[in-house]
Amino acid sequence: MAHKFIAMAAVTDVGNVRQFNEDSIVTDAELGVAALADGMGGHRAGEVASHMATQIILSGLQIRVAQFRSGAGQPSPLRAIDQSINRANQAVFDAAQRQATYHGMGTTLALALFYDNRIALGHIGDSRIYRLRNDVLQLLTRDDSLLRDQIELGLISATDAGASHNRSLVTRALGIEQSIRAHLREDEASPGDIYVLCSDGLNDLVEDADIELIVSALKTNLPLAATHLVQAAKDNGGYDNVSVILAKILKPFPAASHRRWLARLFGWLG
Amino acid sequence: MAKLVLSAGGSILYQCFLDQERVNVGSEPRNQIVIDDPVVDAEHAVIIPVGNDHILEDLQSVNGTFVNGTRAFRHILQHGDVVQFGGFFLRYLNPRASADMDLERTMLIAGLHGRVDAAPRGSGPPPEEARVPSARLASIRFPKGRVRVIAGIRTGDTIELDRVVATFGRPGDRLAVITRRPHGYFITHVEGRRYPRVNRQSVGKEVRLLHHGDVIQVADQQLEFLLD
Repeated sequence: MAHKFIAMAAVTDVGNVRQFNEDSIVTDAELGVAALADGMGGHRAGEVASHMATQIILSGLQIRVAQFRSGAGQPSPLRAIDQSINRANQAVFDAAQRQATYHGMGTTLALALFYDNRIALGHIGDSRIYRLRNDVLQLLTRDDSLLRDQIELGLISATDAGASHNRSLVTRALGIEQSIRAHLREDEASPGDIYVLCSDGLNDLVEDADIELIVSALKTNLPLAATHLVQAAKDNGGYDNVSVILAKILKPFPAASHRRWLARLFGWLG
Repeated sequence: MAKLVLSAGGSILYQCFLDQERVNVGSEPRNQIVIDDPVVDAEHAVIIPVGNDHILEDLQSVNGTFVNGTRAFRHILQHGDVVQFGGFFLRYLNPRASADMDLERTMLIAGLHGRVDAAPRGSGPPPEEARVPSARLASIRFPKGRVRVIAGIRTGDTIELDRVVATFGRPGDRLAVITRRPHGYFITHVEGRRYPRVNRQSVGKEVRLLHHGDVIQVADQQLEFLLD
């Protein structure tokens, strides 16, 4: 596509303490895909799981979006991301079964597909997707984490949660079981919106209010905003890997324009 | 592994390891930790393991449960906490549970919701939020700085730099950001063809550390940077 409808900036950093970066990020602005995964498992298996997941999802969506654009089949972004997540789940699960060192590996996932003025998002675990609209940050995902369950069930208050050691305990992950049901959602995406995908290494250390401030203050320079977010997490301790993807909608992106263009092309071909 | 140590009058009476079982505290012998004290109820308090945490809950006792001298109804135990029951002290030891830094790697655990697996699907309003506060290290201190506007809009004003970033200039035209970090304040160009200047020198694309008394020029604004 000659004119970009979305701008993306992404940063992943090992942090101050860890030896390895088990996070993995992929972006394809032309396609409108952003995915972030935070792997878990011993012997660097977390790295393997998160890379497998993001790569398989990206390649799956590349094919599907090309099909949507060419008019082959009914475009169904939510189904496409669901299928790509399931393929990734199967692959990570199979690899973990085959190789002993990979046993028990898994990964969180935050995935966004931008198509036809909408965002389709898929989510597993405690990585997050936020949206900044009119300078207000809103969380679009719900963490699959023990801490979140505890707060929702009223076992502990949100303010007490800061004293908990359950921050890193997730209740769902990709690749752990034969099949998975991701959290799926679809929403309108408007020009000016900035979507923030992040691993818990960011939101565990940087308050939502500061994420909102950084992204809205630096929204005209996305790479600078992304590095600022990661830097803030590291300045606040940075004890985990930190990853951020920022995706800013530059203009409307109706699918119809592709189809019209194709219709014209075919008309012209006779 | 976490451990409980019961003491009174300076001598240790009982110790036990905490695993994934509930531990009841009270005056009746059926409790795991029996405290024979007139201010302690038959069933006084309970310690419940949840993930990496142990949560102490007061069972609506008459005289209350005190953690480090403060009355507690529900409390996430921290390494070194002392829970007082009358003349008895119950100490919680768990080196892994020092609140300062959590080096635990991400791990999978069973959720608490019976129906949490019924993942919400399709479109709809964003889920209501239960905010989990961030776990910023308490030991990190940030410097205190401000800028005084010497020329341009808001001349004479002093602007505290008490957040992680503050932008100056004109959005969409010439914009610079001052970033607060533990080791000082830094200025960086954000957008526009012309770079901010510090003491009449262009910052260019660099990140520049600010010193007390530096004079910053961004768009039409001139600012003096002041550091405590």
